[in-house]
Amino acid sequence: MAQRQQPLEDQMRTLVVGVADFKISTDPFTYIVTFALGSCLGITFHDEKNHVGGLLHAMLPNSSIREGQKIRPPMFLDTGLPLALEAMVRAGAKRDQIRCKVFGGAELMLSDKFFRIGSKNIDMFYQLSDSLALDVVAWEVSGRVNRTIRLDNQTGDVLVKVPSKPEFIR
Amino acid sequence: MNKAAEMQAVVEMTRSIPCAPAILPKLLKLTEGSAADIGELETLITMDTGLATSVLRTANSAYFGNASRCDNIADAVLRLGSKTLYRIAANTLTGRWLVHPLRGYGWEPGDLCRHSLCVAICAEVFAGMTNLADTSTAYTAGLIHDLGKFALAYANLSALDDVASRVPNEYATWREAENAILGYDSSQVTKALLENWGFPSAFISVGFYYQSPSLAPDVDKPLVTLIHAAKHAASQLGYGVGADGYYYEPDEKCLTEAGFTEDQMEAALPEILSSMQRFVAPDGVVHFN
Repeated sequence: MAQRQQPLEDQMRTLVVGVADFKISTDPFTYIVTFALGSCLGITFHDEKNHVGGLLHAMLPNSSIREGQKIRPPMFLDTGLPLALEAMVRAGAKRDQIRCKVFGGAELMLSDKFFRIGSKNIDMFYQLSDSLALDVVAWEVSGRVNRTIRLDNQTGDVLVKVPSKPEFIR
Repeated sequence: MNKAAEMQAVVEMTRSIPCAPAILPKLLKLTEGSAADIGELETLITMDTGLATSVLRTANSAYFGNASRCDNIADAVLRLGSKTLYRIAANTLTGRWLVHPLRGYGWEPGDLCRHSLCVAICAEVFAGMTNLADTSTAYTAGLIHDLGKFALAYANLSALDDVASRVPNEYATWREAENAILGYDSSQVTKALLENWGFPSAFISVGFYYQSPSLAPDVDKPLVTLIHAAKHAASQLGYGVGADGYYYEPDEKCLTEAGFTEDQMEAALPEILSSMQRFVAPDGVVHFN
């Protein structure tokens, strides 16, 4: 875990990412947060040296389910991940310095035929992280928990909150 | 106190909550026809100051407003139309209930409101895709499906913390833990509440059977199955899902028999998300106007 130098907690600004959205910040004194991932995946991107951080909240694995219709690229992993990487590089990150952390993908119990979005998202992320050569340094996925995550843009630490449990750092 | 008496005490406690959504069944009846009686609607809406304020505010909002200001309920009813009116009423009446921090389920303030709204919107969208229920009934059933949990948490039972700490190590599902530790489960409380408030039997069936739709009476099974599907689809989106949220078993047989498919439900999620984002800001704040 990296050491925070400054500023005080209340001097940090917060950038909120909605579902099917991606946001980026070049301000080290910023938290980028997204709430209640459910079966969605929240992927943080961070270039520590250049203080460029981003957070993608993707809902579904593949944009092909909306074939022929207008889509919001961050909604899907196959369109959201390339978009996020390009935006990071445009904002000043070095491609080989970007570290990713992955969260979410919650699942219901005993579900063979329905509501398997969490595992589909995780499978798709595996495939894409390979083809895009992502440097994935932390995973906190699957299980039966709803996660809220907060990227500290100075350190790259991600603070994870789940219902009824204290916050922890990944 | 025995378990039945304790459950009745939980239900009784909710009587002290201001403005319980008891007028909803009457409002639903008035707005579901093509020619709603404006006088009766006006009388009903003005019974509740908060609701009347919401209706007027929405009628004068940028979206619905026109050159002339709307300063009475009868004009607002005409301007908004019965479907919008019903949505405002349902959200106002249940929304004011569901904003408290709640013990046991790990909900933050507003979580039950966000989750109930998401289930309502999923139910409305699924009703439009199937013939299982009309959209207004589906929407209301989604909003009220889990009121028993609110009542339990409102009663602030310390045993709820015990439930939370013993799932999944000792009990596989949340419902199993509630039955073992409390002696009853939240669906029984929902049923008792809805019966007290005079909700139609179909809504009572939703509250009682939505976790196991196969057991619902045949006449109510389509609506109960619809809410079962909506509940689990909404959980996928994460809005307001507490510690209990994923410790339930989907009834795949019932979903299949009702004609649902996984692809169909996933394809509907973008539309559901768009509707949710009309009412819920990225930081989770709910706004109905």
